[in-house]
Amino acid sequence: MKARNVKGLDPEGTLGDNAERIVRVRLDELCSFMPKATDPSEVVALHDMRIASKRLRYVLEVTGPCFGPYAASAVKLVKDLQDLLGEIHDCDVQLPEVDAFLHELMEEDAGVAGESPKDLAKVPNRRAYAGLVALQVHLRARRRALFEQFLELWRDYERKGFAARLAFAVSERAQSDE
Amino acid sequence: MAKQSDITVDAFEPFAVAAARIVRRRAEELFENEEGVLDTSDIERVHDMRVASRRLRAVLEIFAPCFPQGDYKTVLRDVKALADALGERRDPDVHIEAMEAFERDVQATNRPGIDALVARLRQRQARGNDALAGALEEARESDLQARLHSLCDGALEVVE
Repeated sequence: MKARNVKGLDPEGTLGDNAERIVRVRLDELCSFMPKATDPSEVVALHDMRIASKRLRYVLEVTGPCFGPYAASAVKLVKDLQDLLGEIHDCDVQLPEVDAFLHELMEEDAGVAGESPKDLAKVPNRRAYAGLVALQVHLRARRRALFEQFLELWRDYERKGFAARLAFAVSERAQSDE
Repeated sequence: MAKQSDITVDAFEPFAVAAARIVRRRAEELFENEEGVLDTSDIERVHDMRVASRRLRAVLEIFAPCFPQGDYKTVLRDVKALADALGERRDPDVHIEAMEAFERDVQATNRPGIDALVARLRQRQARGNDALAGALEEARESDLQARLHSLCDGALEVVE
């Protein structure tokens, strides 16, 4: 996913003002995937939301100390969101790989088995099927559970006013200790 | 998990000055994590270097307007290539680890299938390691580390 362009950045301007512009764009970008990402079949939107959360997290990790105190809390919230979306993505990547591998083994066995069902007792991959089917079931179940956790986490962020509080925090400037 | 050093920032310092300091530090962290990265018996090493590459790429993108654009584009391209090679090695590492954990928790009748999948993933891991070895060699030959430092010097010239 290509990142949204941040307009008006000025190398000679202050870090705080430039970072504020970047965080606002990255926060909008993250929130723009809702409500689309509430649909579990929206694999691309969920993946892109993970990328958006990663971008927001990285800019906050580096520039968070420039802003009001909520920016520091937001780093952890965004990291938790990114981790959860990452686990969902892992399932979305692994499931087709397992499906393809199982299909490959089945094709190989179909190529050597004859027309009698008795031939199945001798095909080379016969012992591999149970584990791979169990893994398919496990990955589907895990994906469902993770998706429910994601919805709950996002609802919690909305209840606590995550986006509005972060938007306010980046309008504040922390004073230098020096 | 790769530890990133805390970099002190000041909201009122020039953007380009912060860019030079932060990118320089993240570049150092990338190459500090290079040792032993091709050792497949210790998958944390490649993980640490991959995380460092992501952090470097992220700060390069955050501070993009501060750098001389021609040099910036080639450096970013090369950092991305290295990060991609680290990912190509890391992805099967993660998958293998997950499959081994799954295998420990399932009945014995399920294990042959998981073993077969892990064997396939080990082949991918070996290919990923070869690709990573090539990418590291390329980064050395093109003196990526020195080019990153030179990029940071270029950012400071903007505000001088």
